[in-house]
Amino acid sequence: MKVLKSLFALALMLVVSSVSAQNAEEIIATYIENTGGAEAWSKVNATKMSATVNQGGMSIPVTVYNTKDGKQAVIIEFNGQKITQMAYDGTHLWTTNFMSMKPEKSSEEMTQNMALNKNDFPSPLLNYKENGYEVEYVGTETKEGAETYKVKITQEPIMANGVESPSISYYYFDTENFVPIVIETTQMGQNVNIVMSDYQEVDGLYFPFAMSQAGQPFEMSEIIVNPEVDDALFAYPGE
Amino acid sequence: MNKILLTTCALFCCISNYAQENTIDGKELFGDMRARHIGPAIMSGRFIDLEAHPTNNRILFGGAAGGGVWKTINGGATFDPVFDEHAQSIGAIKIDPTDPDKTVWVGTGEIWTRNSVSIGDGLYKSTDGGNSWKKKGFEKSERISAIVINPQNNKEMYVAVMGALWGDSEDRGIYKSNDGGETWENILYTDKSTGAAELIIDPVNPNILYASMWKFRRTPWGFESGGDTSAIYKSTDSGKSWSKIHNGFPNGKLGRIALAIAPSKPEILYAAVETESAKTNGLYKSEDSGSSWTQLNNDFGLTVRPFYFARLVVDPKNPDILVKGGLYGSISRDGGKTFQDLGAQHSDIHDVVFDLEDSNRLYTATDGGIYRSWDAGTHFEIVENIPVSQFYHVSVDDATPYNIYGGLQDNQSWYGPSSSPGGVEARDWNLIGAGDGFRVLKHASKPIIYSEMQGAQYVWRYNTVLNQSKNVAPPAENDEKLRFNWNAPMALSIHAEDRFYMGSQYLHKSEDMGDTWTKISPDLTTNDPKKQDLESGGLSADKSGAETHTTIFTIAESPLDEKVIWVGTDDGNVQITKDGGKSWKNVVKNIPDLPEFTWVYHIEASAHNPGTAYVVFDGHATGDMNTYVYKTIDFGANWVSIATENIKGFARNIQEDYEQPDLLFLGTEFGLFITTNGGKQWSHFTNNLPEVAVHYIELHIRTSDLVLGTHGRGIIIVDDISPLRQINDSILNKDLHFFETNAGIIDESSGFGSTSRETEFVGANPSSLAKIMYYMKKRHTFGKMSMQILDLEGNIIAEPVPGKSKGLNIVSWDYYRKAPKVAVGKIPSFVVAPKADAGSYKVIITKGKDTYEHMITIKNDPKSTISEKDRAQNKALTMQLFNSIEDLAYLGYRIDATIDFLKDDTSKDAVKFKEELSNLKSKLVITTGDRYVQEAEPELREKLSELYNEVAGSFDKPAPVRYANAATYQDQINNNWKVYNAIEKKYLPKLNQELIKANKQELTLDSKEQFLAK
Repeated sequence: MKVLKSLFALALMLVVSSVSAQNAEEIIATYIENTGGAEAWSKVNATKMSATVNQGGMSIPVTVYNTKDGKQAVIIEFNGQKITQMAYDGTHLWTTNFMSMKPEKSSEEMTQNMALNKNDFPSPLLNYKENGYEVEYVGTETKEGAETYKVKITQEPIMANGVESPSISYYYFDTENFVPIVIETTQMGQNVNIVMSDYQEVDGLYFPFAMSQAGQPFEMSEIIVNPEVDDALFAYPGE
Repeated sequence: MNKILLTTCALFCCISNYAQENTIDGKELFGDMRARHIGPAIMSGRFIDLEAHPTNNRILFGGAAGGGVWKTINGGATFDPVFDEHAQSIGAIKIDPTDPDKTVWVGTGEIWTRNSVSIGDGLYKSTDGGNSWKKKGFEKSERISAIVINPQNNKEMYVAVMGALWGDSEDRGIYKSNDGGETWENILYTDKSTGAAELIIDPVNPNILYASMWKFRRTPWGFESGGDTSAIYKSTDSGKSWSKIHNGFPNGKLGRIALAIAPSKPEILYAAVETESAKTNGLYKSEDSGSSWTQLNNDFGLTVRPFYFARLVVDPKNPDILVKGGLYGSISRDGGKTFQDLGAQHSDIHDVVFDLEDSNRLYTATDGGIYRSWDAGTHFEIVENIPVSQFYHVSVDDATPYNIYGGLQDNQSWYGPSSSPGGVEARDWNLIGAGDGFRVLKHASKPIIYSEMQGAQYVWRYNTVLNQSKNVAPPAENDEKLRFNWNAPMALSIHAEDRFYMGSQYLHKSEDMGDTWTKISPDLTTNDPKKQDLESGGLSADKSGAETHTTIFTIAESPLDEKVIWVGTDDGNVQITKDGGKSWKNVVKNIPDLPEFTWVYHIEASAHNPGTAYVVFDGHATGDMNTYVYKTIDFGANWVSIATENIKGFARNIQEDYEQPDLLFLGTEFGLFITTNGGKQWSHFTNNLPEVAVHYIELHIRTSDLVLGTHGRGIIIVDDISPLRQINDSILNKDLHFFETNAGIIDESSGFGSTSRETEFVGANPSSLAKIMYYMKKRHTFGKMSMQILDLEGNIIAEPVPGKSKGLNIVSWDYYRKAPKVAVGKIPSFVVAPKADAGSYKVIITKGKDTYEHMITIKNDPKSTISEKDRAQNKALTMQLFNSIEDLAYLGYRIDATIDFLKDDTSKDAVKFKEELSNLKSKLVITTGDRYVQEAEPELREKLSELYNEVAGSFDKPAPVRYANAATYQDQINNNWKVYNAIEKKYLPKLNQELIKANKQELTLDSKEQFLAK
């Protein structure tokens, strides 16, 4: 009897611990399933997102390209003039200087941090196991007035001003439909809050069509999955 | 009978269940309604504990008395708050030495036990460097004085619980965990009145621990430090067994003992000991790991106020350098034989940390913030961005913007504006008192401010124009001692501007701004001599006057009837007069379920009904942490409790709304609670409002701003609470409901403002934008949701991004219409958007198939001196130039599109065509240079944009020269069109013919309408 009792206690303990260990995995798995499925997500090689940012009555079209091998370009159109605000071609991270309007390479540290994102397309949640990221279910929390599951994800440490710092983000999944509505993360040592809504379907996958980062809203007019992408978009144009 | 009872019960249960279902949590209700912090940070506030990262000297944590945990990642240049969602009173912070980038522990509850301290609610752990926290027990600990982690094994941890200050408690002593803080066992316990004041571990041999136990107790009228149970204990077996190490200490009772180990030579220990005699007080040193002690020094700096300054810190590299907290702080460089004061800084130094690399760099925690020193404590500079000021009281005036007045713990009395160009910054605050500040009140119409210092030692009537002050404290008569509370009450009347009330044990009234006084009551307190202890302190006398008891604490004259005056006393009397003080009645006996003698913290006389009042009682100073809020509607004959279970913390203040009688705001030890139904349900307001003690609440009548005087995070404002007046059950059940909002005012002020530098705190201003407020029953996550603002003709004026939260959403509109389309050049050209006209606009929210409509109004600035006619002329020229810019943009488009179309065409005509067009374009827009010092000379686009920006960016009638210039530029545009048309005529028809002939696509260009619509 005594043995039975302790076995029961052990079983209970195992169940309890596996629930909390599995929950983060289950939440992420449900999210991926609900938004198109792992297979469909794995077939995404690139995305093109078109949004408009409104600043003091000026509409600024923004186009963001992302590719599976980690390339990225953010191109804004300012009064008809296209400017690559930032781009990463797999080797160089670069920006356009707004004084000289010329391309400039970003610091080596920022470039190295950018390189760490190469394995995070389209989301660090998709391949977190292969990437060795730790995920942990933290509990429920009210975000945007809604009940959410809070999941912690720990990625490769980044360098911040010469010092290695942990890279920890929190995803808040709406408990009704398991899509993240808020992400709390850090960029260059600064806390960044991303709010997401207006999830809509594109080729069988669900994307948030409205996002705001640090209070600045972006509304997507179009998201194209696997667009034709010219490598020249990302390439550092040289001196 | 039984049946009836049962039915009633069933009915009641039904009702309460129904009420339960409708309960809406604060986070679900308040949505985008966010508090804003305006500081001040100029005097910062009390810090308790500092903790340095063991390997990265850029990182440091500071724990405030009532303002949470602050972290720097830049070596102390600036700090950010990282603990806002939890109790703000901090006792100890510990970074895990084995995982310092991620794991941090915080023990809550201030440990320097002055009369005004807040309470904590347990132990917290962060595993992400302090960004988020989880509670790890010790809910009833009230105060945690130390957290110790074995540097070789972080599963082995210890927590020192000081415990309850105002009562007995079994939650005291040293606790140990062997599983990294998941479970705990009490391993050293003395008794219900003796807590652990310090705990240290031998850094070389972590089996060795030293603990300082302290017997202490506070009452509302006294403080007692010391007893037979105060002691230092040592354990050499990781806390299994403990023995007293007092060899060398005097016999008799001991008080609070500060304890430190020299990290570079751990057999050296220092202890600052409170004993029965001044001669034996002071610093003791042991050079044999506590086996014996020798007294070295009993100077003032080593013995002053042990309950407040029991911290010793040894230089990490040099065992002979140590610092003792104190009134000024003391540093020794000869192993404790002699000391000198630390350099000038705010007094009351509670903790010190040395930089791990360089002992010249050190940081102090004082009653006035965190300081940095670069020369080993000789000179100090304050960290300028930590607004943790501790307000006792707050009041407002009716200026525009309105000013906020209040007094601070150990940091005088101040007033400053609720908003200021560029933000509310240090230079905006004005000092109007000395010592500790408490209540501050502004005369309704004269440039007079009343302020006071502790115990009404001075009550200043300060003239802000003349910069003159006079002490107008009510004088004692016939040598009778007046008992004023440390935080003595004062009140003004809305019925007579010059009337001024103050309370001692009597209510004093002046009709001439304090020049002459009349007592209008007998002693309204219990006048219990047992509670008038003048020998407070215990082993070390501590006579500051802070414990003066049996005093009046709150005064409220009815805003509806000046003869009705309420008075509440700190010893539990609620007194009312209905005849202006001729007769008084103590109505506290009518209040149900209230322990006798509970401190009356605040009485709010209703603005809706002369017989209605709210009373908040606070029993924490006798160990009663319950929330007591009562309402009467019949001058105190009957009372009902309106406190509910979900209110966290004992309450100190209540504020009634001036319009909706059931809308009430309650300030507690852990923040702000709001009810919209007279107290049936309360919601915790947590949007940018930390769990800070709210000592006083004021509602500004004109703006409906709720102003909170917090005891640890300065002044916090919730702007415009008017939507809360509109909330009721039927609204909460609607999918989307728009709230009525005040008209948006189109701000005409300049952009000039802040003079603060990079490391200074600047408080946020309220938004001056038009607000669209709505409630949503459910968060919008799937599908498109958009918002449009239309004029009355149905033209789309703006498309702000709507909020998607469940609860209250606030969307701002900056009054801008859409900006003009500008010709493309090499360098972008910035143009402003024209402002919308004052008037009414329709807001449409489209959510899936559903649309929701609402009207809003925007107005011109009522302060403006610009006439409507002048304003109309400005708008007319703005739009004329707007059209010119778009006309030029279209010309630019035709040129660019044609050149682009022909980019690969090398035929002679095409080349000439392109060349002529390029020449034309270079006169329209700049095509060379950069946006800085290689800027090209402006061309037509730049000149036109500059003129347009000047006109559109102002509000008044344009000068004649602007009209002339506008005409000149339009002529130039027209001429350029003529040139363009001639070029086009010369080449395009022929070119298109050839293209058609070659079966190629001919050049077609968008019409102007098509171009502008894109």
